[in-house]
Amino acid sequence: MKNLILLIIVLPIALGVGLLATPERVFAQRKQLCIAAGACMVLCGALAVLALCGVGSDTLVLFRLIDTIPVYFALDGLGRLFVGIVTLVFLLAGLFAFSYMTHEKKEKRYYGFYLITYGVLLGLGCAGNLVTLYLFYEIMTLVSMPLVIHEETREAIMAALKYLFYSFCGAYMALFGIYVLYQYADTLDFVAGGSLDMDRLVQSGNTGLMLVAAFCIILGFGVKAGSFPMHAWLPTAHPVAPAPASAFLSGIIVKGGILAVVRTVYYCIGAAFLRGTWVQMVWLTLAVITIVMGSALAYKEKMLKKRLAYSTVSNLSYIMLGLAVMTPEAFTGSMLHIVFHAIIKCTLFLFAGAVITATGEGKVSAYAGLGRKMPVLFWSYTIVSLGLIGIPPTSGLVSKWYLGVGSLQAEAAGGIGVFTWLAPLALLVSALLTAGYLLPISIQGFLGEKREKEPEKQQNKKQEISKEPPILMLAPIVILAVLTIVFGISPFYMPLIDFIRSFSAGLL
Amino acid sequence: MRKCRYCVQMKAMNRNNRKGGINMDIDILVWFPIAAGVVIWFWFHNRQTQKDRDIAANSVSAVIAVELAAALVIYQGSIGFRCFFSVFIIFAWLVTALFSKEYMKNDTNVIRYHFFNLMTLGTTMGVFHAEDFFTLFCYFEMMSFTSFMWVAHRQTRESAYAAGTYLGIAIAGGMAILMGLFILYVQWGSLSFGSASSAVYGMINNSTELEQNKTMLYVAAGCLFVGFGVKAGAFPVHVWLPQSYTQAPAPATALLSAILSKTGILGIALVSDEIFGGNSGWGMTVVIVGVITMLVGGMRAVASSNFKTTIAYSSMSQIGFILFGIGMATMLNDALDKMVALQTLTEEVVEAYLCAARGMILHMINHSLVKLVLFLLAGVVFLHVGSYELNKIRGFGRKKLFLMIAFGIAAAGVGGIPLFNGYVSKTLLHESIVIYGSLAGEQALVAYTQEIIYWIEILFLVSGGLTVAYMTKLFAVLFLEKNQDESLQRTYEEKKQYMSLLSKIAMIVCLIPIVLIGVFPNGVGGAIMDFTWVQDAEWTFYLASPTWDPHNLDMNAVNYFSLGNLQGAAISIAIGAVVYFLAVRLVMLRRKEKGYQEIFPAWLDMEKYLYRAVFYTAIPFVLGVLSRILDSLVDTIVIVLKKTVYRERKLPYELPEGNDITHKLGQSMENLNKLSCIIKKKKYEPKGYEHKLALMNVDLVENLRIIERSLSFGLFMFCVGLGLTMIYLLIVN
Repeated sequence: MKNLILLIIVLPIALGVGLLATPERVFAQRKQLCIAAGACMVLCGALAVLALCGVGSDTLVLFRLIDTIPVYFALDGLGRLFVGIVTLVFLLAGLFAFSYMTHEKKEKRYYGFYLITYGVLLGLGCAGNLVTLYLFYEIMTLVSMPLVIHEETREAIMAALKYLFYSFCGAYMALFGIYVLYQYADTLDFVAGGSLDMDRLVQSGNTGLMLVAAFCIILGFGVKAGSFPMHAWLPTAHPVAPAPASAFLSGIIVKGGILAVVRTVYYCIGAAFLRGTWVQMVWLTLAVITIVMGSALAYKEKMLKKRLAYSTVSNLSYIMLGLAVMTPEAFTGSMLHIVFHAIIKCTLFLFAGAVITATGEGKVSAYAGLGRKMPVLFWSYTIVSLGLIGIPPTSGLVSKWYLGVGSLQAEAAGGIGVFTWLAPLALLVSALLTAGYLLPISIQGFLGEKREKEPEKQQNKKQEISKEPPILMLAPIVILAVLTIVFGISPFYMPLIDFIRSFSAGLL
Repeated sequence: MRKCRYCVQMKAMNRNNRKGGINMDIDILVWFPIAAGVVIWFWFHNRQTQKDRDIAANSVSAVIAVELAAALVIYQGSIGFRCFFSVFIIFAWLVTALFSKEYMKNDTNVIRYHFFNLMTLGTTMGVFHAEDFFTLFCYFEMMSFTSFMWVAHRQTRESAYAAGTYLGIAIAGGMAILMGLFILYVQWGSLSFGSASSAVYGMINNSTELEQNKTMLYVAAGCLFVGFGVKAGAFPVHVWLPQSYTQAPAPATALLSAILSKTGILGIALVSDEIFGGNSGWGMTVVIVGVITMLVGGMRAVASSNFKTTIAYSSMSQIGFILFGIGMATMLNDALDKMVALQTLTEEVVEAYLCAARGMILHMINHSLVKLVLFLLAGVVFLHVGSYELNKIRGFGRKKLFLMIAFGIAAAGVGGIPLFNGYVSKTLLHESIVIYGSLAGEQALVAYTQEIIYWIEILFLVSGGLTVAYMTKLFAVLFLEKNQDESLQRTYEEKKQYMSLLSKIAMIVCLIPIVLIGVFPNGVGGAIMDFTWVQDAEWTFYLASPTWDPHNLDMNAVNYFSLGNLQGAAISIAIGAVVYFLAVRLVMLRRKEKGYQEIFPAWLDMEKYLYRAVFYTAIPFVLGVLSRILDSLVDTIVIVLKKTVYRERKLPYELPEGNDITHKLGQSMENLNKLSCIIKKKKYEPKGYEHKLALMNVDLVENLRIIERSLSFGLFMFCVGLGLTMIYLLIVN
């Protein structure tokens, strides 16, 4: 069990590859495939939970690239948070997929890459130094692409290419930063508070260059986190994937970018170096722009999945904003929002999958009156919507509270100028827009009447969609909705906050 | 010490500020109705027979009755405003629940109504029991959402429209509150009531404190004022109020007006109390907002040709009176502070302060009682007429004695007629401004000139007059005039069974205190005020600064029926008579055959042509355009690059269909096929393998090209990165 940390990463990848390599005819029936894939998922998830609980050692050196740069894994607080939320969403979205994928082709390929992606994400979470992180970051881009491309339409292929293009652009930008960073850092290992050798940097007179490098890293990894101006891939790529894959992409994989930013800024460069510089200001500006822009575009968007994707753009920048503010409260808010947004956005995409399956339509106007036929589904949707807006007693308010208070506190901590109040204002404006793009769906669903366009067709469809989606689809959605409320109630989110504080204490 | 804590977040943030274990008592009052609502929903939502619906309605009443009993037990021995008002809330809920059994009899979705009704009861209890601003905010938001379903209940186009406005403005208000709380928390470090008033008060009045921090506090208070003002229905964020009140079912409207508007008032009072304990600038702001609110509400009420809308605007107008009381108390508090410092404290000014603060509280209760009756009456009318239009309901009340007495008492109560409750509270409020006006000469005490105070007083009396005018209008319409349609009038007069006994009892319970307070102002009214105005810091707000303690001051019995006090009422009634004659008789009834006509022009609708136009259309449009530009920024650059620098060269020749391998492979497969056909002695049909393979080849080549190109671009970017690194390395070494 000593090498459990390696096992949780390698096993899903191996199982995934195995599943891909298995000939199609082995699974004569769909059920067998589902059972096999499900067993793999549960096994991997259970191992990850074991590792989270502290079984096995927390560090493991895999091999050495060169003497000073090992590829190694270490599971610290932040890593645990990430691995935990990845596992949760992975299992629930996987459960949803068993029912959803009935009408998709090439299921085996989907499950295979789904497992591989999971393993790679765990590798990302467990990475112990920047090189390992970068390695898994690139692999993550590659192995998640088949999820985007799954439906093999021309649209999907173009979207996947756009995804690759943007991701690589960003990764190379970050790579440039890492080269520079390596010059002046004592080590590329993750050290709380950063390992930048300030004396050496100041002596060499390259502080300006280091700032540029830091900015490149933030911008580069920010691509994955849908940060303006490199966000355009996200609303293209996420909606074309099958619903459970969208949920995983939008809930979790984008957080890989966030994780990379946290690791470099807070564990390598150090927040102290960036505080008060132009990098922080530009970062804040980009975050605020993204927050408002994403919400406004979501508000204007008619297609449900695309609307949710824009919403992801906006919400990821909540997290970026909290990171850019660099106060303890805001950092806590960011970490909370990573968890809460993963839960909420996953639910929203699963909901989208469920209603699109039921109606066959992607436009939000098509769901009027549906809530009366699927009350449980729509109630869950309403709850997580309230969560995303930040209405008590849901979790969204908690993270928003910490983000808002954190940015207002920055005045005392060193000053972020106009963003002291502009940042919370952007959060609230975005929350208003969020209400504007999410709530009408549930209001229309419960209270609205479907417009009678084609009465005959209408009649047929009404009979089809007279009841809730199958239990395998409904269960994950309900579980996640319940979690949204649970994390909004103090006895349940306080331990989480305490946990976050336990590892964020040394960062700022 | 009893505390209601939804949110221990605050506890975690300021562990030092909170003490004591968890007392579940209050939480039970909050969660019991919510739990009961859920149970009732699950039990009844699939049972729609008349009998089941009756049982459901009865069990809702039973739940509320149990809640009332529980509250009485829990509050045993405690006194104070919030304790009194919590019991009053449950009482109001019970009254409306009793009434709604009759009102909702033929309604659809009754169980849904019950569910959200009980949810709202629970959350409203939470609002009134919060011990810090954050908890208050949490319950306040939940209450906004649960009460949304009241407004949307009827599911008509109009109610959907009203509910859209209600929800939008409620969320916006909630966000304003949240912004205020962010700032307040950061500036002050805590949000709990009581412990903080001295801290914030000190900051505002401390001359060494940073100007910036003070400004932030003002901003915070402004945000909170806007947010709570939305729920209260203060000008100019009242726009949701008339339509929502008109669209909600009558029992729900009664609660919206009687109770939910008071949650906003509670918030504003707490802000005035906790942040601006004695700040005359703030007090004046609240007074001015209050006066505008009462004037606008009163005028719109007079001008309206709809029964329910008139009462809705009347609510707004009365909320203005309450705001006026809050502002006056704050201003007088400031004057008292200065007098304490100068050691010139006079009993008269203390009296005036108590008049304002206690009058405000009494007016809240009076208004709630009156509005319960009026909206329930509106419900009765609607049940039989099916409309609220004045022309339709004209003459409905003739020969209905109970209806007339009930309406008469309520109208007199809100109109400030002596011997009814509104007169008592309005007299107290009027008294406070008269005394404040007499102080206004002294520069050291009051920053405003006598003229300003004098004009405010006049506007106050005019608003009272407007109340009289619109109540007279309604009374005349219902009970004095005859309907233009004579057959309709006959059916109205023949209707004897217009109200069930239960509904009558519910109404009578509300009517008794209206009269009692009015007839025994010092006995009953004074007792209520003494009860709500006590030394227990946990349960009341003082609207007082910490530099002096108002509780040591007892209020003398006020002589309500002295000539001076009656004079104020007389002026209001006279103004009311004039307004009624001019506005209603001459303008509204300008064409006899058309009956009552709306005075207010439709194009002046602030809600539709200002708020909706700006917030639902203009701002999203502008934001959308800007965002669209930003959104496509990089994509545009990529496309431009593709069209210029990275333009695809035209292929010099047509892509050949297939290559040697596919041709040869295809031919040999074709031959094989031919051979097998010959062997099997079948008829040979060319399958075109050569062509198929060629097409597959073309497909493959094309796909590869797409990938190649984009990959090449990625690789190019990689090279740029490497190049930069190289240059850097060269510079370094």
